[in-house]
Amino acid sequence: MVNSSKQHLADLAHVAPLVLAKEQLIAVPPPFQDLLPAVGIQRGWATSVVGSPAGRVFAWALLSELTRSGGWIATVDVSGINLTAANEVGLSIERVLVVSGTDAQNWAPTMGALVGAVDVIVYGAPRHRIQPSTFRKLMSRCRERGTVLMQLPNRRHATKSGLPVEADVSFDVCPVGWSGLGDGHGRLASRAINVTASGRRIPGQPRKGTFMVPDACGMVRPISAPTTPTVPISAPLTSTERDPGLSIVR
Amino acid sequence: MVAPQRVACVWCPDWPVVASGISAGVPGAVLYANRVIASSAAARSIGVTRGLRRREAQSRCPDLVIAERDLAREVRTFEEVAAAVQGFTPRLELTHAGTVTFPTRGPSRYFGGDDALGAKIHDAVTNVLDDRTTCHIGIADGIFAARLATRHRHEAVYVIGPDASPEFLEPLSITTLGLPELVDVLWRLGISTLGAFAALEAADVLGRFGHIGLQAHRQASGFDERRADVSDPPEDMEVSIEFEPPVERIDQAAFAARQVAVALNERLERRGSACSRVTVEAESEHGEHFIRSWRHDGALSVGAITDRVRWQLDGWLQASPQIRPTGGLSRLALRPDDLIAAGGRQLGFWGGETEADQRAGRAVARIEGLLGVNGVRLAEVRGGREPMDQIELLPAGSIDLADRRVAQPDERPWPGRLPAPSPAELFSQTAIELVDAQHRMIEVNGRGEVSGTPTYIRRPGKTWRRVESWAGPWLLDERWWDPERARRRARFQVVDEHGQALLVYLEKSSWWLAGVY
Repeated sequence: MVNSSKQHLADLAHVAPLVLAKEQLIAVPPPFQDLLPAVGIQRGWATSVVGSPAGRVFAWALLSELTRSGGWIATVDVSGINLTAANEVGLSIERVLVVSGTDAQNWAPTMGALVGAVDVIVYGAPRHRIQPSTFRKLMSRCRERGTVLMQLPNRRHATKSGLPVEADVSFDVCPVGWSGLGDGHGRLASRAINVTASGRRIPGQPRKGTFMVPDACGMVRPISAPTTPTVPISAPLTSTERDPGLSIVR
Repeated sequence: MVAPQRVACVWCPDWPVVASGISAGVPGAVLYANRVIASSAAARSIGVTRGLRRREAQSRCPDLVIAERDLAREVRTFEEVAAAVQGFTPRLELTHAGTVTFPTRGPSRYFGGDDALGAKIHDAVTNVLDDRTTCHIGIADGIFAARLATRHRHEAVYVIGPDASPEFLEPLSITTLGLPELVDVLWRLGISTLGAFAALEAADVLGRFGHIGLQAHRQASGFDERRADVSDPPEDMEVSIEFEPPVERIDQAAFAARQVAVALNERLERRGSACSRVTVEAESEHGEHFIRSWRHDGALSVGAITDRVRWQLDGWLQASPQIRPTGGLSRLALRPDDLIAAGGRQLGFWGGETEADQRAGRAVARIEGLLGVNGVRLAEVRGGREPMDQIELLPAGSIDLADRRVAQPDERPWPGRLPAPSPAELFSQTAIELVDAQHRMIEVNGRGEVSGTPTYIRRPGKTWRRVESWAGPWLLDERWWDPERARRRARFQVVDEHGQALLVYLEKSSWWLAGVY
């Protein structure tokens, strides 16, 4: 009798750790927070970034906050990866595992080994066909272990969106233009991109924003705050925001 | 103070080398995370010592045989030595492969004293070892003294009489404590021997160095080795699992081992304890027992317990026919022996190893198994003028994630490097065409003068696109003294009519694509 009540007390005292919704989010840098309903990427989501190569720089910038706070990301078969560019938009490249050389047989086991071990898996669209069932299995493991999948378009499949199932959030990145380069003079200095976030986790209309990635100082900053399409988006660059002395290339 | 137990310690030097199968006369070394952790006697005589990098070791001894560390194999091969010792006493305790300790009170009496017992065990173990390495035995009061006695230069069996441990320890160097930070401070305080450290007041040591210091002080004075905060389990804390039907395969048993380890850990956590020694007891369906105790200097985590259970079962199921069980495994029990207060492990605050790093490290090992050594790589910042030179990707398996200093991008200028931003995607060996309005190829002469205005550009497999804006050339002429690696090129930045920015260069009269922004 005494023993059983003791056991009961012990059970009561042992409270399972509480996980707050905030901790299940992967923080994104402030400029991008308005693109997402919960100001961050929820763990376990399958996301995709469309639009190469501006989309790549956007993806690195989006994940920079995570790696700076000690999180790990892995890239799987991202062709021609240049981590210098990732570093320039704030990604801590010491916490990036670069995985390459997968084929149809070991793609799924490799992804499986990374689930739960890193916070985000950034993968180039695979060159071989992936069975939807394999992918769904991977996604359910990701949801369980809190790893985010992020697909980047690969060189040869730039037009195809390779996810066999619909992404939770898809970021469509359109380059607006470069500034800094003239006719035989100057140098590339800053780039403006339009980002549209859509998908089944974005309630209502897609969210849009225009960003400088990077701006003339090498920073990432928004040009116009992301708005819902009820308010028409003005011209991406207004004259006051334009860097003086630089021409906009369109 | 509790009088220390009399303990024997059996030590086989260079066990990682022996386990890797490198034969005795050959210079060999075992590496972990690109550093030598053990080397054979032949290699040591040439100067291959612990802590060297692979390259350094190979430069000192070009025909060095190198093996990667495999803990499971070390324990499995050590099992035959443990089995030989088990012929004398059932209560064995392992800290790691190569060292086994046991209390001598019972066996000494039975075999006619410490000296006789030591000689008998030495013969038995030497017989098993078969000249692969040597065997050293130390018998003393307390594990610390016994372990140091095995390091005696001249005698293979060295017995320190009862109550003589303090005298034995007195002249030994303070570095034998094996706590680099504490030893460093003591050394600078002018305390260079264990005797000098033991002469300090215990209360002063506790006040200045805390529990770690006090424990070291007790070791140095030859007192009981056990940590002061160790307590015996007050109740029956054993956790066990029955297999019905009995399991035959090691991976099934290992899976069960994890469950049991988790259950044990949960129980301990509920009491706010952790254990520093665990006894693993396995039983076969025919009633054969196999018991080992595992000691750890800190607290054993779930992963550490699982590993030890797996090694032990591995060793048992693959042992020689006399020891191997005749049936499947029917029961597995874990019993925590020494409990300590669970202080939790302090993970790195400013850098250092975090849990996330450990998880990443485990994933690296698994992916290496799937894709090979070059399948998973980590970035290291290098200097360079071209985008592909600025970062080098190194095999992640050769980098110890726990002890890693990442070079930060150098802020000092690299003359000839293009300023940020860098191309998002790099290309190699991709020819392009860049022409002027009359479709003549753009050329650059030795003085850096461009032959015309770049007007159209074509990438392989694409249509011609108009050039909206461009700049260049930025000339690069590097390593002209080395015909293999020399580069002489003129680089341009180009934005085409679709707003796509490209980095292109002219080398040896043809145009190449370096990257896309």
